[in-house]
Amino acid sequence: MPERLKNSAIQLLLAINAIIMLFPLGLMLLSSFKSNAEIFDSPFALPPTLDFSNLLRVWHDTEFLQYLGNSLIVTGASVLAILVTSTLAAYALARYRFPFNNAIFLFFLAGLMVPLKLAVIPLFIELDTLHLLDTRLGLILVYVAMGLPSGVFILTGFLRSLPGEMEESARIEGASEARILWQIMLPLARPALVIAAIQNAVPIWNDFFFPLIFIATDSRKTLPQGLTVFMGEYNTDWGVLFAGLTLAALPITIVYIALSRHFIAGMTAGAVK
Amino acid sequence: MFAKTTRRLLLAATATFGMAMSFAAQAGEVTFWTWRQEDKAVYTDLFAAFTKSHPGITVKFEAFPNENYNTIVSTALAGGKGADVLHVRAYGGLEAMAKAGYLVPLDPAKVPELKNLPADALASETLRADGKIYAVSLAGQTVGILINKDLFASAGVAVPTNWADFLAAGKALKAKGITPIANGTATPWMDAVFHSAFTNPFLGPQFVTDVLAGKANFEDKRYVDALGHLLELRDMLPAGFTGVDYPTAQQLFSTGRAAMFVGGSFEIGPFRRANPKLNLDFIAPPAPAAGQPTHVSRWFDSGFAVNAKSTHSEDAMALVRWLATPEFAIPAAEKLGNISSLSNAANPDPLLGKVAELNKTAMPYIMLVHFRYESPTGSDLLQDGVQKMMAGTMTPAEVGKMVTDGIAKYYVPFQKK
Amino acid sequence: MTTRTVRRWRQGGWIVLLLAPALIILVGFVTLPLLAALRYAFYAFDGLAPAGFVGLANFQTILFEAPYAAWTMRALGHNAIVFVCLMLFQNGLAYLLAFALLKTLPGHRLHQVIVFLPVVLSAVIVGFLWKLMLHPLFGVINAALGLIGIAPHPWLGDENTALGAIILTNAWHWLGFPALIFLAGMQRIGAETLEAARLDGAGDWVLLRRIIWPLVAPATTIVFTLTFIGSFNWFELPYVMAGLTGSPGGTTDVLGLYAYRLAFGSATAGLQDFGRGSAMAVLMFVFLAVVSAVALKFLRRREMEI
Repeated sequence: MPERLKNSAIQLLLAINAIIMLFPLGLMLLSSFKSNAEIFDSPFALPPTLDFSNLLRVWHDTEFLQYLGNSLIVTGASVLAILVTSTLAAYALARYRFPFNNAIFLFFLAGLMVPLKLAVIPLFIELDTLHLLDTRLGLILVYVAMGLPSGVFILTGFLRSLPGEMEESARIEGASEARILWQIMLPLARPALVIAAIQNAVPIWNDFFFPLIFIATDSRKTLPQGLTVFMGEYNTDWGVLFAGLTLAALPITIVYIALSRHFIAGMTAGAVK
Repeated sequence: MFAKTTRRLLLAATATFGMAMSFAAQAGEVTFWTWRQEDKAVYTDLFAAFTKSHPGITVKFEAFPNENYNTIVSTALAGGKGADVLHVRAYGGLEAMAKAGYLVPLDPAKVPELKNLPADALASETLRADGKIYAVSLAGQTVGILINKDLFASAGVAVPTNWADFLAAGKALKAKGITPIANGTATPWMDAVFHSAFTNPFLGPQFVTDVLAGKANFEDKRYVDALGHLLELRDMLPAGFTGVDYPTAQQLFSTGRAAMFVGGSFEIGPFRRANPKLNLDFIAPPAPAAGQPTHVSRWFDSGFAVNAKSTHSEDAMALVRWLATPEFAIPAAEKLGNISSLSNAANPDPLLGKVAELNKTAMPYIMLVHFRYESPTGSDLLQDGVQKMMAGTMTPAEVGKMVTDGIAKYYVPFQKK
Repeated sequence: MTTRTVRRWRQGGWIVLLLAPALIILVGFVTLPLLAALRYAFYAFDGLAPAGFVGLANFQTILFEAPYAAWTMRALGHNAIVFVCLMLFQNGLAYLLAFALLKTLPGHRLHQVIVFLPVVLSAVIVGFLWKLMLHPLFGVINAALGLIGIAPHPWLGDENTALGAIILTNAWHWLGFPALIFLAGMQRIGAETLEAARLDGAGDWVLLRRIIWPLVAPATTIVFTLTFIGSFNWFELPYVMAGLTGSPGGTTDVLGLYAYRLAFGSATAGLQDFGRGSAMAVLMFVFLAVVSAVALKFLRRREMEI
């Protein structure tokens, strides 16, 4: 009986937490259908009519689909490259003893702490020298370099904590090192890979600073970059602002919800063994 | 070996993603960068007129968010890139770029259009160290008070011209449920505007002369007293004014919730666009007492310059010369709703004509015009100080001392022996 | 050559192969540009161009000369407050939330999805959204408080509440991240261990403190380190909600904003000085690196001991 009571209390707290988490998002969505006056006078009310004019304004005044496509390419390629390179590096750091192992790990860790925004001028010159200025590839390389440290940090920590027996027995059976990595360690590392992927996808998807500086051609602009410029022109029209926020948040939210089953399972179930 | 492979890989990958060309314009195309995103339509129209009179030269307009513009431009210039023609800031902001050699000096012999500009406009785009002019000044800005005439009329309140009447008008408007002044203090640069509008009439031109001559600093009793008057206005601001930012203040005024907006003449255009029915007037801030003179504050706010690394410098120079002619300045001033820096480009708009009239007794917007050449800038210090003073966490005397001490770092007359 | 040395060489080559791609990209696009930028810290700037080598003068200015020294310490203090508050509130709540989710009550999967939802949004979206919600005149927070009779308050405009409001926004934004890391850690403990403890008569509280807490040490290490680095590199959320100057009156100014402001100035007040900005960046980096290295060593040892 007290157990059931306690569980009900926990359920209640979880429900309250869910409301706190969802309420602002619902408000954002609702407000994007409202006019300024409606937002100010009755902030909580449902929109009187389903008025798409705010959303259409964002849609028409920006190259929304173009920006969306660029963001998908840049984020997708960056995250993939981060996962591949940081898994390889983390595997070496976590599963082998070799000189300077710890030093190299700390070097990666240091990459987590650098204020790269302040290195934007040399970075600009470097990309220019490599003919990568104003290209998506240039942007991707910068993002990969920025995201690698957290990938290596999370994956090394995780791989280190995996038991060694399976690896050892495979080695004794004569499996190649690459095969051990691919067939034994990688499946076990799935939760950490999922965490690293999300941890990087979110800031890359949302970044507008580097595109603003590195990308000049309209057809290569990313979604946050395009919307930042757009929202600067409408800073007193709350309905349009909420519509812009909604449209900026929507793609990644949909991807997240669609993949959430895999994501949550991947992130937590690895432990169930 | 690694480097070679990496490079080859990079090049191969680059080819698949498509090479970039956009930082360099095509032949006959001049690129133009600005932070004025909201003026895109006006500039695009005017640049079409330029192409008509200069066949073979087209202009590509690119706008960036204001708060990132410094970073974007300085990064591009340091990398030897950037637009052919740049919209640049005035005073210290201009000097920072000119000193680094990023801009082409304008030779009065080759840019005869410079004679269209008055001396103070030229000074705003001059590097003091070499005395050369680096940009064509666009517009002068005037700080005063925008008022909603209808709200004053409906409340039966006369538009005040001196301090006592001003405070009384505030009480009367408030009694009718109207917020007297739309401004809040959450956006720092607006605090400097607010401060300049109301303190300059109390200070008078003699104070500026004294400061520039090294005979007075900001701990001067005149200045501290003037700051103190700002505190009397707190009751006239919106509820929770410490959290009211610039867009909110604009909103309160343009929707007719507040009767006055303390700001620059550059607000006239946006307010007319936001609410065409708004019955606007622009008045000078209240005089200290009836019969005493009052002063608006004034500065020149931006200009057009040629990038020293431009690959189309001749075409770029042609554009900058054209930007200094009435052919551009008159329609631009009319459409952008500002007062051109050119002495031969009067604005036909009656309200802006009134502002131009007020300019005849203007005082400089002192922190920008005189104390934004070195760090910490007067603006940095003052904005922080006024914000705190209005919130009640600093006294006027403390603000005066903080500003004086900060500027003393590089301004010799303020240094205490 | 013995087969043993051959094998050792082959393993060495394999390790190099594993590390090379990551190291090349990191060095090429982070380390090298950063070193180039850090060089600026030792130069005076006259406008946008370096005007000469000045040794440690920029460091001297930001650490010891008025008004910069006071600004630096003020920002550092705010970062420390942010870190402590996030560790206590955000991560403490996340730890309890993870435990609640561990119980696999009905609907726990849905709750997992929901609590992580804000994490996928950008700081710009979250900051903007909460700024509108906290608006002194039209915000829903004040409207909601009004329903229960609390007077409206300018949360982001009051020097006493602004930083707290931004910290709470951050906690709302990121809560799901530490929660799921803790949950992953708790699930690895295994049902048997928890069952055994329960049979010994341990209640939830004892379980959380005595059994689970030590066993999730690796998760704690990750959460602590990422929170520490995140708190001292805090930039985007205060930038969106309080502006580049840490409004009101610098009460939300943090090192990230301050370094950026020193380097790039602001459109409406300050001048650019890459020298002082880079010096500030160097100091931040050294501080973070040293504290993280020490903390990590300590946390690792703690993991081992447990």
